[in-house]
Amino acid sequence: MAVALTMVAMKLAILRHSMTGQKGGLIATGGGLGLALVAATIVAAVVNADLLAAAYAIWMLGWIFGPVFTGGGDETLRPEYFTLIGLPPRRLATGLLVSAFVGVAPAISLLALTGLVVVGVRQGPAAALVALPAMVLQLAIFVLLSRVAVAVMGIALRSRVGAISAGLINGVIVAALGQCWVFMVALGEAGGLPAGASTAVRYLPSGWGLTAVEAAGAGDWGRAGLAVGAMVVLVALLLTVWAALLTRRAGAVRPSTRGRRPMTASTASGAVLAKELRTWSRDLVRTHQLTFALAYGVFFAAAPLLIGWNGMLPYAGPIFIVMAAAMSANVYGVDGTALWLTMMCPDGADVRGRQRAWLLTVGPLAVALGLAFTAVTGGPWPLVLALTPALLGGGAGVVVLMSVYALVPGTDPHRRGGNPLRFSEDEGALTGQAYAVLALVALTGAPAGVAVALFGWVGVAVGVATGVLCFWSFGSLAQRRLHTHGPELLHTMRTGKRPPAAPGSGRSRWKFDDLPRRERIISIVCWSTGAIPLFPQGIVAGVFKVNGITERSWFLALYLPEGLQWPMIGFMVLLGLSIYGLGLWIPLRHREAVTGDKVNGAKATV
Amino acid sequence: MTSALEINGLSKSFGDKVAVDNVDLTVPQGSFYGLVGQNGAGKTTTLAMAVGLLRPDGGSSRIFGSDVWADPTHAKSLVGVLPDGLAMPERLTGREVLTYLGLLRGLPREVVAERAHELLSVLELDEAEKTLVIEYSTGMRKKIGLAIALLHAPRLLVLDEPFEAVDPVSAATIKTILRGFVAGGGSIVLSSHVMALVEQLCDHVAVIDKGRVAAAGPLDEVRGAHSLEDTFVELVGASDVGTKELSWLSR
Repeated sequence: MAVALTMVAMKLAILRHSMTGQKGGLIATGGGLGLALVAATIVAAVVNADLLAAAYAIWMLGWIFGPVFTGGGDETLRPEYFTLIGLPPRRLATGLLVSAFVGVAPAISLLALTGLVVVGVRQGPAAALVALPAMVLQLAIFVLLSRVAVAVMGIALRSRVGAISAGLINGVIVAALGQCWVFMVALGEAGGLPAGASTAVRYLPSGWGLTAVEAAGAGDWGRAGLAVGAMVVLVALLLTVWAALLTRRAGAVRPSTRGRRPMTASTASGAVLAKELRTWSRDLVRTHQLTFALAYGVFFAAAPLLIGWNGMLPYAGPIFIVMAAAMSANVYGVDGTALWLTMMCPDGADVRGRQRAWLLTVGPLAVALGLAFTAVTGGPWPLVLALTPALLGGGAGVVVLMSVYALVPGTDPHRRGGNPLRFSEDEGALTGQAYAVLALVALTGAPAGVAVALFGWVGVAVGVATGVLCFWSFGSLAQRRLHTHGPELLHTMRTGKRPPAAPGSGRSRWKFDDLPRRERIISIVCWSTGAIPLFPQGIVAGVFKVNGITERSWFLALYLPEGLQWPMIGFMVLLGLSIYGLGLWIPLRHREAVTGDKVNGAKATV
Repeated sequence: MTSALEINGLSKSFGDKVAVDNVDLTVPQGSFYGLVGQNGAGKTTTLAMAVGLLRPDGGSSRIFGSDVWADPTHAKSLVGVLPDGLAMPERLTGREVLTYLGLLRGLPREVVAERAHELLSVLELDEAEKTLVIEYSTGMRKKIGLAIALLHAPRLLVLDEPFEAVDPVSAATIKTILRGFVAGGGSIVLSSHVMALVEQLCDHVAVIDKGRVAAAGPLDEVRGAHSLEDTFVELVGASDVGTKELSWLSR
């Protein structure tokens, strides 16, 4: 236990040092959002135990798949730190496990698991008593599943086959989560929630705690003991697996021995293109990202086939483009300090080469997907043909622009630890950047979409035009920024921190982090929830209504009497827009107030 | 004659910490210039500012008369740089890295191929033809870094700790190459905290301490009648180091 306690102390020390400034703010924001989820879970616990079991299943999926997006999960303490001490794998794993319980995410999850106590209290003192160990064991299962998932990914990403299959599986599951309404509708059509569903969610490891509590409440001690025992066995089993995987992780990387095709480029931008294309094909993390985006696009668009609706199928290509852009958002960050070479050759046309490489990697797949799936459904040709070039150009532009204007410093490739998903220390910023790119790239498709809706085929020309424009202009902006701010970007990359504003630089540099915490949380909540009324409840519901689709799904408006449907759709669109507006207005107002104060302050001192 | 490198009043602070404080250095053409100092004395920061990789708070740097910040394209074409511990295009092989950078520097394709071949064989990297840079050992990384610095035949080399973690055989190869470069009229600035190495290679030396130049000039003037190590310890004022012992290590 001494090892475990030392590790806990070590982790607390690291957390204390990182709980400052921007990172502290992000942790607080994440915690705030987590508490909202906790509240929803507790409500589920009060309303219906079936719902609670389903909610815990979602928590479990979050623990397993979250690390794929948030940069490899919690890596405050890395197994590599302890390789020289010579701890037996089980003790190392136990120590890391105990320290893994220290943190914001486990604390939030433990709060969510108090739902077990709520259920227990309602069933009697015995059930409430069982709920306490069940809570802890359930949390251990979540944390361990997450660790094992990350470790398995680490091993999968050592081989191409592994990277591709991991990308496929992750993409399909995340798309399924995003399209869960399809499954609900499908189940609804099958005549309500099947009787098996409530049993099924209890048979998942996430439901064992609830099963134990309920059995204790019903006086079925055999069943309660069985469930608790199963949890103990699972924890022990996962711990063993994790310990075994940890020893493989700290092991040496196998050197590559494949033959290499010679580089045949003969110009500077051709050389950048050749370098980038090689990086795309040789870096298994990028292989994983690309496969993930592909699987996500295809499955997201194909999921509604389950309810016999193929209207989304043609958009597999566009969805793939947007997701691929989000996954490769930090294109300069992942190369780390290699930026110095770009700076030593100022005329190298680095940005254009990277843009072309991105297009060559994503473009052919996107075009093939778009053409094939639209041919299957027989349309809508104009929209798909307009969106594809618009988004491709937009993606190739936004990706480079974002990575120089909102660079998230990456860890240098040769200094990364054994977790291949982790290429930055700032996982929060990385996630935020991915979402921002998701939104921005989708936005670059908007003019083409609107043009098609209004003028039909003319929209295709608009799509090509905006695509070329985005590619060219965002690329130029990125180039200029790289030229003027190269040293600052390199410094950020080297130290992992943005350089502080030079004292007396005159203009006040206002940043989002300067917002008081409450305002910051409100605007983040606004940005992350505005989409719900705007897109599914507003726009998608409207599209369904226009196209005469009778499927009501979870679109509130379509459940209302005919006369109220359009007003409701309008209201939802307005609601979404105002939530976004509020999210934008709060920081803007604050900025004005701050800069105003500074001007007044300056006057006062004069 | 214009100096190969002329640094005037370079300063840099990180927060409250002054890393480089008003440093002046003049590197004459054809000189082999050593920059010595303790860890954290400001050597790397000075060199990074001198070649345009870090923006100084004040001061200027000229390479053969071209200002690094006002005329970066020309200034940077005259210098080859080996930074300490920065990343490279990691997923390329050594030959590919050289091909890529040669083309980026605007060299014709055939010239790049020829020079890459020669550099790889002289630096004994041609056996690792299939190995990606990310899989290189630390010594191999230094050698490919030196090849990158030499590739476009610059007139000035700025090398940050070029011998750190390099095995003796490779170090001898590198020394031969560097001596040949200076003999052919090139100029070199290198930083190191190994005094013997600087004494062996360099004809000029500057001692950096706490971000300032403690002494600079021809090697013999700076060290006088003593060894460079004695002069250095005297200059940075750490003469009592070495008297403290770890009592628990002796039995």
